[in-house]
Amino acid sequence: MPSLKYIRNFSIIAHIDHGKSTLADRFIQMCGALSDREMEEQVLDSMDIEKERGITIKSQSVTLYYEKNPKEIYQLNIIDTPGHVDFSYEVSRSLAACEGALLVVDASQGVEAQSVANSITAIDNNLKVLPVLNKVDLPSAEPERVQSEIEEIIGISAENILEVSAKSGVGVEELLEQLIQDIPSPQGENDAPLKALIIDSWFDNYLGVVSLVRIVDGEIKVGDKIRVMSSSRDFIVDQLGIFTPKRNPKKILSTGEVGYVVAGIKEIDGAPVGDTLTLAKAPADESLPGFQTIKPRVFSGLFPIDSADYESFREALAKLRLNDSALHYEPETSQALGFGFRCGFLGMLHMEIIQERLEREYNLELIITSPTVVYEVLTTSKKIITVDNPAKLPLSNTISEIREPIIVADILVPQTYLGSVITLCIEKRGVQKKIHYIGSQVSLTFEMPMSEVVLDFFDRLKSVSRGFASFDYTFLKYQEADLVKLEILINNEYVDALSFIVHKDFSQSKGRELTEKIKEFIPRQMYDVAIQAAIGSKILSRQTVKAMRKNVTAKCYGGDITRKRKLLEKQKEGKKRMKQFGTVEIPQAAFMAILHVGKNK
Amino acid sequence: MKKYFDVNSPSSVPLSLYIHIPWCIKKCPYCDFNSHEASISFDEQGYVDALIKDLEVELPHIWGRSIVSIFIGGGTPSLFSPESIDKLLSSIRAYLNFNSSIEITLEVNPGTVEANRFSEYKAVGINRLSIGVQSFNDKYLKLLGRIHTSREAEKAISICKGAGFKNFNIDLMFGLPSQNTNDALLDLSTAFDQLPTHISWYQLTIEPNTQFSFNPPNLPCDDNIWSMQKEGQELLKCNDFFQYEISAYAKKKFASIHNTNYWEFGDYIGIGAGAHSKITNFNDGKIERFSRHRVPKRYIELAGHSDVIAHKKILDSDDISLEFMMNTLRLTNGIPANLFFERTGLHMNQIKKELKYAKDRGLLDLCGDQIVASSHGQRYLNDLLEIFMK
Repeated sequence: MPSLKYIRNFSIIAHIDHGKSTLADRFIQMCGALSDREMEEQVLDSMDIEKERGITIKSQSVTLYYEKNPKEIYQLNIIDTPGHVDFSYEVSRSLAACEGALLVVDASQGVEAQSVANSITAIDNNLKVLPVLNKVDLPSAEPERVQSEIEEIIGISAENILEVSAKSGVGVEELLEQLIQDIPSPQGENDAPLKALIIDSWFDNYLGVVSLVRIVDGEIKVGDKIRVMSSSRDFIVDQLGIFTPKRNPKKILSTGEVGYVVAGIKEIDGAPVGDTLTLAKAPADESLPGFQTIKPRVFSGLFPIDSADYESFREALAKLRLNDSALHYEPETSQALGFGFRCGFLGMLHMEIIQERLEREYNLELIITSPTVVYEVLTTSKKIITVDNPAKLPLSNTISEIREPIIVADILVPQTYLGSVITLCIEKRGVQKKIHYIGSQVSLTFEMPMSEVVLDFFDRLKSVSRGFASFDYTFLKYQEADLVKLEILINNEYVDALSFIVHKDFSQSKGRELTEKIKEFIPRQMYDVAIQAAIGSKILSRQTVKAMRKNVTAKCYGGDITRKRKLLEKQKEGKKRMKQFGTVEIPQAAFMAILHVGKNK
Repeated sequence: MKKYFDVNSPSSVPLSLYIHIPWCIKKCPYCDFNSHEASISFDEQGYVDALIKDLEVELPHIWGRSIVSIFIGGGTPSLFSPESIDKLLSSIRAYLNFNSSIEITLEVNPGTVEANRFSEYKAVGINRLSIGVQSFNDKYLKLLGRIHTSREAEKAISICKGAGFKNFNIDLMFGLPSQNTNDALLDLSTAFDQLPTHISWYQLTIEPNTQFSFNPPNLPCDDNIWSMQKEGQELLKCNDFFQYEISAYAKKKFASIHNTNYWEFGDYIGIGAGAHSKITNFNDGKIERFSRHRVPKRYIELAGHSDVIAHKKILDSDDISLEFMMNTLRLTNGIPANLFFERTGLHMNQIKKELKYAKDRGLLDLCGDQIVASSHGQRYLNDLLEIFMK
């Protein structure tokens, strides 16, 4: 059992591309946890999607042994954190298992808004934040400027900031020494009743539920009967261990350690994230505080293309929900799309990731409807209803007012791009609250409607600032706004899945743009397809997809039918992601057309 | 697969013979058939011998069945001398029973050299010519990379008639680069003046891996092509050419036996480089498709051995019902419902659901015992056929 003073638990906070994964890899290599051959690039990002996108979505951990000298061997537990704004909730989960955090900042890019937000969360959680400048070997590095940014924006001392190059390995050894010195060792009583915090849980087809835990007090052994405190259900521990980053079995996990527990839990919700594990024979008095539940911000309908997939879709969602409590879902029925689920997400990236995982890991083919935020409706009978689906907006004569969610956006942007960023925020109905110059960067605070932010704000912000602006946002309040439901009709029939809520001032232009976009997505077919946008009975705009003149293969050389078949197969393949709506085939992409409105400006 | 066929009457599925001649003087930019530009010389003699050896290998599969048609296509079969064609037909006659009203078509290029051979082709047994005119306008012939002129074409046709061919087809294309409706109709009128029994009038389409696909010509827009087609079809009708297939028009009783056999899902043996066959085995009820090696040199080497077959596939019941529909729904008047069982050995239930679905969508007419694509279904045949894909 390692003595507490030889354990360090920490996270790495970094903006996307600032080198977190590279640094973690370097640590792993230096501590000899993997041979060079095993050293796949960026081992911490273990989901395919994470590797492809170069981002971290789920928390992961790795345990390393650093030999300072033969007498002092330190156990380092790195708990990885996601870097994207959508996943800030996951960050706070990871931080709850740590005593410290490395704040890795790109020495030329400077501080970015999400790192600021995450660092502040870490500081609020009483974590020691250790700033590190990465990529100092790049010619564009400006260590002094970035150092003063860290001090001014985050408000921590960066006087003795460490300068490293994770890529070449320069300074990494010194960094290890420094973090052992600066980050406190965990507290806790090994003799006290077991309290283990579930940081993460996921479902393994062979093992059942696997949980990543931090032992806060006590210890846990293979064969122990453990109790999940929220449900008071008991299980026998089959396996324990640490990630190195391979799964490395152990007999015992002691106070201060971070590792995995497998206890034959077959039910998907058997070991919820944030719950506390204790021993059945000597239970702890009270559970750990756990995590605040997070509310999803963006909702959309997900429908299986093949209705026979509905049950497996439900199961897949349950499995994903196990370690992603931000994912919400409930059954939804659409006239156009049949049976599916209304799903809630933290943001657009979260939605894309879930969609991709459902399609890749569970082989589902889905149609996703336009994302929407949650509105509040005050009815004429003075009731407040929340609406996460435009199709469910009450009749207009029963609505007294509609309120939309407003967020506070904190933006960091180099001065050069200040003008275009402000223009963008105003276009998105933002109201400027604060502006603050820090070195060459400007910190901006805007209040904006969330609906304007969730769709494409992040992409637009990146493009108007050439990738230099960063932002973070928090929910502020609901506020009355002049909103209307824009409905889409295809061949004069209302398609519930295409309707959305929009500010009245923009309804005319949005309606026109949306019908134009939908037109682009609907291929020419056997009949004319009329696409109309309407508010109530008032038609705002109309577009027509003209019917194909014909669809026939002129010359069909009788002998060789194979080529003709391939042609038909291609045609059929193209329609796979389409939904039959009366005589019209609507491709999946058309249901997301709203995302493309205003993109080509 | 169950044995549904009446094994005692294998002749219930007609059998045709296709012979592929894989050389052309020059490859046309729109052509995606297996054709090779004839270098200074090609091994005509060796190829004819190979064809005969190749046929011998096929005989056990078609024992006792007579053939309703022979089509010698290409490539440019008229590059082959009448002596070669004679040798070929004589050997075939020795091996196979000919139906009394057999149709024997030779595909010819309307050049001067070839035209001088027409009467000899007639003498050796060819009873139908298919003349690859494509257009009677030199401007379009040039764009299409054809090596003949419109004058030569008219001359060749008159030689064809002079040689005693009463039954001949003119191949014409429409929707040519920058063609207008007038020019397309003019081509048809010129063709009528030549008094053919059959006109194949088909739209130029850009096929993958052709010169045109790499360097696309400026084709007329959909709307113009559509009006060409509508007006052209009207003109053909007024001149007593009855449409019997998507691109085929014939005088009464002159529909091509060979092509009709394809569309009615009959059997066929294809010999020659890259030729395709479809044969029903009446012993086990299986339907098999196979094709031969494409490269002429390799084909000559392998002819006579079973290795000459490059691809082979036994069709499952889903393949069969789809391919049956792909062929028969091209026929303007459709087919009697019982042909499905006769040609596939499968019960109609196999496609009952699809037939109903297609009918409900207005793509198919089921009147009495006849299955036929509605006019809407003929126009959107690919959408109709997609319904039969499983």
